[in-house]
Amino acid sequence: MSVQTANRATAAATATPSRAQRRSERRAIIGFLAPFGTLFLLFYLLPIGYSFVRSFFVTERDGAFGPARDAWGGLSNYAQAISDPALLSSVGRVLLFGVVQVPVMLIIAMLFALILDSSLARLKRFFRLSYFVPYAVPVVIGTIVWGFLFTPGLGPVADFFPVDFLGDGWVLWSIAIIVTWTYAGYNMLIMHSNLQAIDRDIYEAAHVDGATNWQIALRIKIPLIRDAVILTGVFSIIGTLQLFTEPQVLR
Amino acid sequence: MGAVLVAALSLAACGTSGPEPASTACARSSGKVTLSFWSWVPGMDKAVDMWNAENPDIRVELNAVAGGNQGTYQNMFNALKANTEPDLAQVEFDMLPSFRLQQGLRDISKCLEPDAGDRFIGFAWDQATFGGEGVFAIPQDTGPMAMFYRKDLFERYGIQVPKTWDEFRVAAEEVHRKDPSVYLTSFPQRDVGWFEGLAWQHGASWFNTEGSTWQVSVGDRPTTEVADYWQDLLARHLVTPLQGFSTPWTKALADGKVLTWISAVWGNSTLSTNVPSTTGKWAVAPMPQWSGNGPSAANWGGSTTAVLRGSEHPYEAAKFALWLNTDPKSLELLNRSGGLYPATKDGIELPFLKKPVEFYGGQHIFDVFAEAAGQVKGGFAWGPTMTQTNAALADGFGKALAGDATLTDALAAADRETQTAMRLQALEVKIR
Repeated sequence: MSVQTANRATAAATATPSRAQRRSERRAIIGFLAPFGTLFLLFYLLPIGYSFVRSFFVTERDGAFGPARDAWGGLSNYAQAISDPALLSSVGRVLLFGVVQVPVMLIIAMLFALILDSSLARLKRFFRLSYFVPYAVPVVIGTIVWGFLFTPGLGPVADFFPVDFLGDGWVLWSIAIIVTWTYAGYNMLIMHSNLQAIDRDIYEAAHVDGATNWQIALRIKIPLIRDAVILTGVFSIIGTLQLFTEPQVLR
Repeated sequence: MGAVLVAALSLAACGTSGPEPASTACARSSGKVTLSFWSWVPGMDKAVDMWNAENPDIRVELNAVAGGNQGTYQNMFNALKANTEPDLAQVEFDMLPSFRLQQGLRDISKCLEPDAGDRFIGFAWDQATFGGEGVFAIPQDTGPMAMFYRKDLFERYGIQVPKTWDEFRVAAEEVHRKDPSVYLTSFPQRDVGWFEGLAWQHGASWFNTEGSTWQVSVGDRPTTEVADYWQDLLARHLVTPLQGFSTPWTKALADGKVLTWISAVWGNSTLSTNVPSTTGKWAVAPMPQWSGNGPSAANWGGSTTAVLRGSEHPYEAAKFALWLNTDPKSLELLNRSGGLYPATKDGIELPFLKKPVEFYGGQHIFDVFAEAAGQVKGGFAWGPTMTQTNAALADGFGKALAGDATLTDALAAADRETQTAMRLQALEVKIR
C-alpha cells in the first residue's frame, strides 16, 4: 500500500511539477546552456553581425599616405564583389570540379564496395584496410606526396603521362585525382558496411529465382544501399565546397 | 539577433575613424625602458643579446616570428589596428609603403643625426625616406643582383660570360643548340621579385606620388621591354620555366641542365646549401647590361628595421635600430647567421665580406656584389598595395607560361588590379 502511494506521488510530481521545481529546472537549463550560448554569441553571432554592418562601409582618405576614415558606402561593396569576374569564374570552377569529381569518386567507391562484398573476393580484410589507408594520411602530407608524383623528373606519374599535371590547364584535375584518392576508400567503407547489413537470404532467394550476380548487384544491392549512396554524395558535395587544403598546398 | 546588431553597430561606431599619423616628436625616455621587436631573421637573437649586454637601460625583447609574407605582416597590421603593435619590426622594402599607408610607421627623423643617411647606400636610404624629409625605417640589408654561372660548363660549351642582354640571348641560343636539354637560365615563374629587380635595372618606375595623387604604371616602357625580352626567350624555348627554389629547379642546377641564376647576393648561400654537389664549379659575374645605359645593377629583396606607430620610446627604438644595422659586430653576426648583406657603405667593406668563397672556386664574390650595390638606381618606389600587385603578377606569369597569354598581358593585368586595390584603399590614382 505504501509503495503504491509513493509511486502515485512521483507520477503526480512528474505530471504537474510545482512552481519551485519548474523554476529550478529552468535555471538548470539556462546554467547548462549559458557557457555554449555565451561563446556562441561572442565568437559567432557577434562577429557575423559586426562584419555584416561593416560591409556597408567604405574607406575614405586624403593624400597619398593620409589616414583612413570610414564612410557609409551602401551596397557598393556588394556591387564590387558581384561584378568581380574572378568571383564568378571561381564559382564556376568549383561547380565544374564537383560535377566531375563527385560522380567519378562515388562510382569508384561503389565498385570497390561491390567487389569486396562479392563472394569471389579474397583477402577482404586486407583490401578493406588498404583502400581506407589514404583517408588516414593527413591531407597536407598526401597533397605534398602527390605534388612530388606530379612533378616531371621527380615523380613516376609525370614521367609516364605526357601531361603538365601542375600547369594551369590540368591542375584542377590533378586536385580531383588527389581528392578521389583520399576519399574513395572512406566512401567505400560506408557503402560496404551497408552492404554487409543486407540479409544474405535475399541473395539466395534471387539466385533461386535465376538472377545472375550482375543482376543481384544492380537490382538488389545498389537499391538497398541507396541511403548510404545519398549520404556519401551529400558529404562529397560538402567536401567540394570546402575544398581548400589541396589547392593551397599545390600552389 | 536584434541585440547583436545593436551591439555590432555600436562597435562599428567606435571604429569609424582610423588612426592619425604618429607625432614626429622624439623625446628621450627617463629610466629603464623595454622595447619589443618582431623579426624573423635567423640569428637575430644573438644580435639582440649583444645589445642587451651592452645597454642595460634599453632592453630589447625579441619575438622570433614567421617570415613577413608567411603571416607576420598580417599579424602586424592586425596589431596596428588593435594598438598592440611592437616598438620595432622587420619590414621589407616593398612593404614599407603599405605600412606607411596604414599609419604604421613612425617618422624618426628627429631621433637621428641629420647626416645619418650618408652612412647608407643611396638606394636603400631612398626606400626608408620615400625620397622626402621623413625617415620611416632604418635600412637593414639589400639584395644587389649579379649572375651566378657554372664556370666549368661555360667552358665545356665554349661560351663567353655575357656582358649585355644581347650577348645573353646569343649565349642562350648557343647553349641550347649544342645540347637541347640544357638551358642558359630558367624563368623563375612566380618569383616576381626577380622580375621586378630586372625591371628596376632597366629604369622602371611603377609608382610615383604627385601631391595627393598616385601615378601607377606597372607596365611602363622599360618594364615592357624586359617582359618582351623574356617572352621572346620563352617562346623560342631558349629558357626553361622552373619555379625558383623548387625541387625541380635545384635538381636542374645539380644536373647541369640550367647554367646560370641571375640573383641577389643572398642567393649565394641558396646555391651552396641546395646544390652542394657542385662545389667549386660556380662563379659570379656582374649581371648583363642593357646597351646604351651606363652600368646599372638590380636589387631583389632587402629589408629595414622600422619603429612602429605606437612606440612610447621612439628615441631608444631608433637608437637600437641604428646600432643593429650599422655596428660592425652586429652586421657580421647578422651576415653569418642570417645571410644579410649590409645596407651601409662601410658595412659592405667589412673584412668578412672580403674573403674568398670556396663554393665559388675561391672567388671574392662579394666584390662583385659590392660593385653592384653602388650601381642600383636610387629613387625606385614601391606601391602601397604590393601584396595585390605581386599576386596579380604571379597569376599573370602563370598564365603566360601556360601559353594562354604573354608576360606583357600579365603587366597590364597587374596594372589594372593594382589600381583597383589602391582605389579600394580610397587612394587617388592617375594612370600614366
